[in-house]
Amino acid sequence: MNVILWKDSKKNVEMLVSSAPCLYAVDFDLPEEVPKEGYIASDMKAARYRIAISSAEPLKKQKNVLKKKKEGLKAVFKIDLIQEISPIPLSEFSLPDEGLKTFVITERLSMKITEKDALESFITEEENKLKEKAKQIGIELPYSVIRELTTRVRNLPEKEIKIVLKRVEEAILRKQIDPYEAVGIIAAQSIGEPGTQMTMRTFHFAGVREMNVTLGLPRLIEIVDARRTPSTPSMTIYLKPEFQSSREAVESVIKLVENTALLDVCDIETDTVNMSVSIVPIKNRMAERQITQEDLLNSLSKLKGKSLNIEDTKKSQAIVVKPMQESFKRLYQLQEQLKSLTIKGVPGIKRAMARLEPSKDWVIYTQGSNLRGVLDIDEIDTNRTYTNDISEIYEVLGVEAARNAVFQEALRTLQEQGLEVDQRHLMLVSDMMTFTGQVRAVGRQGISGKKSSVLARAAFEITTKHLLHAGISGEIDPLTGVAENIIVGQPITLGTGSVNLVYRKGN
Amino acid sequence: MNEGISKRIFSINFALLSPEEIRKMSQIKVITADTYDDDGYPIERGLMDLHLGVIEPGLKCATCGGKVDECPGHFGHIELAMPVVHVGFIKEIKTFLDAACGACGHVKLVPERLNEFNAKIKEIEATSNDPDALTVASKKYIEEASSAPICPYCGAHQKKVFLDKPTTFREEQIKITPKEIRERLEKIPNEDLFLFGMNYEVARPEWMVLTVLPVPPINVRPSITLETGERSEDDLTHKLVDIIRISQRLRESRDNGSPQLIIEDLWDLLQFHVTTYFDNQTAGIPPARHRSGRALKTLAQRLKGKEGRFRSNLSGKRVNFSARTVISPEPFLSINEVGVPEKAARELTVPVMVNIFNLENIREIVTHGPEPRDELGRYVPGVNYIIRPDGRRMKVTAQNAEESAKRIEVGWTVERQLMEGDIVLFNRQPSLHRMSMMGHTVRILSGQTFRFNLAVCTPYNADFDGDEMNLHILQKEEARAEARIIMKVQEQIMSPRFGGPIIGGIHDHITSLFLLTHLNPLFTEEETMHILSYVPDPRMPEPVIVGGKKFYHGRSIFSSILPEGLNVKFRSKLCSGAKDRCEYEDAPEDKDVLIIDGKMNTGTIDEAAIGPFSGIIIDKIFRKFGPAEGANFIDRMTRLAVGFISSRGFSTGIADYDIPENAVAQISDISEEVVQKINKVIESYNQGLLESMPGRSLEETLEMEILGLTGQVRDESGKIASAYLGLNNPSVIMARSGARAKMLNISEVAGMVGQQSVRGGRINRGYSGRTLPHFQKGDVGAYARGFVQSSYKKGLEPLEYFFHSIGGREGLVDIAVRTSRSGYMQRRLINAFEDLKVDEKRRVEDTVGSIIQFKYGEDGVDPTKSDHGKTVDMDFIIMDEENEVKQ
Repeated sequence: MNVILWKDSKKNVEMLVSSAPCLYAVDFDLPEEVPKEGYIASDMKAARYRIAISSAEPLKKQKNVLKKKKEGLKAVFKIDLIQEISPIPLSEFSLPDEGLKTFVITERLSMKITEKDALESFITEEENKLKEKAKQIGIELPYSVIRELTTRVRNLPEKEIKIVLKRVEEAILRKQIDPYEAVGIIAAQSIGEPGTQMTMRTFHFAGVREMNVTLGLPRLIEIVDARRTPSTPSMTIYLKPEFQSSREAVESVIKLVENTALLDVCDIETDTVNMSVSIVPIKNRMAERQITQEDLLNSLSKLKGKSLNIEDTKKSQAIVVKPMQESFKRLYQLQEQLKSLTIKGVPGIKRAMARLEPSKDWVIYTQGSNLRGVLDIDEIDTNRTYTNDISEIYEVLGVEAARNAVFQEALRTLQEQGLEVDQRHLMLVSDMMTFTGQVRAVGRQGISGKKSSVLARAAFEITTKHLLHAGISGEIDPLTGVAENIIVGQPITLGTGSVNLVYRKGN
Repeated sequence: MNEGISKRIFSINFALLSPEEIRKMSQIKVITADTYDDDGYPIERGLMDLHLGVIEPGLKCATCGGKVDECPGHFGHIELAMPVVHVGFIKEIKTFLDAACGACGHVKLVPERLNEFNAKIKEIEATSNDPDALTVASKKYIEEASSAPICPYCGAHQKKVFLDKPTTFREEQIKITPKEIRERLEKIPNEDLFLFGMNYEVARPEWMVLTVLPVPPINVRPSITLETGERSEDDLTHKLVDIIRISQRLRESRDNGSPQLIIEDLWDLLQFHVTTYFDNQTAGIPPARHRSGRALKTLAQRLKGKEGRFRSNLSGKRVNFSARTVISPEPFLSINEVGVPEKAARELTVPVMVNIFNLENIREIVTHGPEPRDELGRYVPGVNYIIRPDGRRMKVTAQNAEESAKRIEVGWTVERQLMEGDIVLFNRQPSLHRMSMMGHTVRILSGQTFRFNLAVCTPYNADFDGDEMNLHILQKEEARAEARIIMKVQEQIMSPRFGGPIIGGIHDHITSLFLLTHLNPLFTEEETMHILSYVPDPRMPEPVIVGGKKFYHGRSIFSSILPEGLNVKFRSKLCSGAKDRCEYEDAPEDKDVLIIDGKMNTGTIDEAAIGPFSGIIIDKIFRKFGPAEGANFIDRMTRLAVGFISSRGFSTGIADYDIPENAVAQISDISEEVVQKINKVIESYNQGLLESMPGRSLEETLEMEILGLTGQVRDESGKIASAYLGLNNPSVIMARSGARAKMLNISEVAGMVGQQSVRGGRINRGYSGRTLPHFQKGDVGAYARGFVQSSYKKGLEPLEYFFHSIGGREGLVDIAVRTSRSGYMQRRLINAFEDLKVDEKRRVEDTVGSIIQFKYGEDGVDPTKSDHGKTVDMDFIIMDEENEVKQ
């Protein structure tokens, strides 16, 4: 989808924010096709505002038009909405070579969506026939059911197929959940009860024997807590189909991914007399990680504000780095900079290992996770690559993805323990954790702390704080939930408690 | 009971008490710090004044005239000599002092900013239901106001206010007294309060500095009389005594012009007492203690935590009409029943309203007194109490029975003792899921214990090693109806966790039916009739005639309890559970269960067929014929199983683990071999020849290698041992049928126990460099690190025994840690999810009205009714259909 992007002054933007929806005259020609969505950058770094455009026309004499400049105006946009967004770096837009001069019609790379074929096109003729057949006798079935049925009824006579179809429909209707069912409690019990049967043993190998991943109860608690980082972050990296069967490609990706810091291969010594830092490479570690002297120099040259010189000591080639200005502060800064310097690889990925899957494809497993960094690598299949770090998925791919990540991780943890828990319960948990647009923890910091009822919050944890605060703000407890109604001693509003039966005399 | 009127509280409004309100609701101003006089009579205007309520029988409340249990108690008040701050609002007071001008009381924001904020508030109120949203929004503005150096209204220069925890405020170096604080807070105009999240309709900032203290009713702080006749006052009363005493001294000192220093000291002391009266765990203050040294339990402590008012008295309550005793098994009860001992049944009652239809009947029952029996001496329910319409209860005794019976009239209620057929709730803690509390119908039994069918052990997670369970008698018709329709055991056969049966045959049930059906043995007519005599009303199986005599196949005996019209096909556990290729792979006769129209043709019944969690037959019967038939099948199945196994006999002993000499030798050979192998690996490690695995250090690699080797040898020894233990061995029968234990346990007894582990690795703790002083330092060989070569049957060497204990302890610790951790996780889950429900359109919403899911579980299907998560079980439908067509 194309969007329009231009640069504008802060003052103009503020004016727009305060007066939108409005007409806005700009100093560039009307593009042939005006996109419905646009972005405004206030500097050359990032787009900070998103706008919705409903129409555009060449400039005429009009009233009530806000102006970008005083002169040289060419076109008028009708801006319906402008909102401040978290800055999107301009690199995320495909810009022409000359960069952003006045405006561009472009697209956001990260928003590029490859359209998948509609479900209908996946449906085989046979499946379609069955669907038609069902329709004839007035039965609508979901595709997933039709698909499963197709192979099974293949050898049945026509008459029996109809009976089967009818029975399947009946079964689906019969199995629908009852209104007012307390699904939340059932879900919580269904996940909590098997918790008592799970192991506490923290470590277990994931895809590769050499690697550990937290599983069992500790991992489940971690997921439910919505921790910022998991105790053992790890990624599963898939390659694009053209690379995934080649060992060399995999090895090269591993080299790209695996993070090597300067400290991993060198000793860093600070010399306060000569005001310099000398970097002494450790030969065997360099070899182990396949890093050459050039690699070192390359990455060092990216550092700002220092001068390089290579000193040939007898033992090994040490690199001596000096700060531009001679001061202890600078020297210290330089030393710290060097300590955290990445020579190559993606920061955060401590180790990467390849494994040949039964499908004869190579898959890379990593220790440490950096989704944003890894997705930048060309050979990687961005659709399948996965991390177990939920908050990272939330940041990079958004809530919807985070919702699925919570679900997947919880499901995987339970399945690994051999516990059978219906997926619907996990869906509810992940939906509840994410439906506000953020990943909220289950507990006083998250869902429970944000309940609308004072009594329910007081009954959970930190009792006095909630009660006192309710006092000064004059909160009203609407007594709609379960906990608060139990506290005041009346029937709860779920299940049979949510139905009232009234007997009306007469007729 | 107020029949006909149903009241409902729709909301509760929280507010702060103003001094005027405290005085208004007060019945009496308390001025004396004493409680009782020498005669034990409450002192007037003291903390136990009769105006505050009564707790002693015989006395009457001076306010309402009510007696004990009639008077709810009344508040009093204490006029504090000097104001003190309320600990709970320290933070709020600080922000008020920071953000409002010390001179004129205005919030130090220009009007435009304030308006801007007010607009934002309106927006938040309209869009969000997050209780914290307001606080978050105002934070920025408050900070801005607090940092203003000069008041934009009066131009007064602002001084920074410091808080010396916990309760003293300081402006630069000068202390601000609570009195001054109160004066400043009074000046803040109502319009500015919204910024702080305070609603001026219910609260004023100066109310956070107390001038009057409410005295809670006596009922809230009852004094108790010890056996010695000594009176012991409640902690709150103690605290109030302190407050009054200091307040009085302060007043006196102030009035007679004592030095400022003394007044300030007393003021601080008063502040301390009021602070600890509210919260005795305030940081920075030593908790007020009882004479004995125990910290006092004051207001905040009464509410907080697990033992606090909220969690232990409001969210969970103690109840009457309940019983608790030890449980024991009774295979001849239905799964829907519970056996209640007579003694308990006599105590537990159901209220029965007397009406014109049952009046005579009830009079008759009451006549027989509280302990009636029929002519055979059997239990007959009596009546314990008669309740008149005015609520008066009269106990029925053997003496007044007949007289009482005559007085009963329509409209009275009698409390009838429990009788057979009553529905009750039965529960075992921990109540982790809804199947922990189910409805049972009562059977009155002799003895002292509750009894129930063994199939119901699984949902309750009960065993009979001393477990106790609770019984609750339902008191209302609505409750009984709900229990009967949705809580009864038969309605709970399917677990909502995974959509399969959670109730099924266990242990001997599985063993028995396995023996009955495996290889389809023949039974004589006499044997068959004996077995079938356990089952009520069986379908007679078809006999086979061998040598002129009638015989019956095991499978057809099993068929006699299957309902007609049942069609199922599945693979038994015997084969699907086997690690390697099972010996029955090519014998569909034995491995594949095929039931057509309620006749079992082939296969072996085991855990997969009738066990809890898996039980396919139970699953299919429940789905096709409903809960009643499901329960009926389980009843008959367990009876048949018990009948058969008690006539056939089944036991196992140590001799069942005998394996031939050469097998023992073989096992010790391979174990010796692996010890050598391990030594070799260690040697290569020592020589630096061992290659490390990627991502592992050399030491870790070595450990993993060794662990792999010891694991291998245990498996191998197991294989050798089990090669000599076939399906004629009772223990193997139990393991293979899924009744109890795993093959691994058998190989531990007969073959080798194997490597003991701590935290997933070999045992490596103890002394420095070695596990025990019996080894060389640095010895990492098999024996030195907890490899147990012996079998349980042979017996463990002393060192092995020690290592085994280490491994065993880890298991115990693990369980202890796990239960607390998972318990807390479940509490949080329940609390977060308790309010969710499905609406009429099958959407999931919370109580505020936010929609969580637009279609529950994406297909709207109830997991309980789903087929192990799948929407529909098509194979079953098709198979059913095909077979019906055939017939």
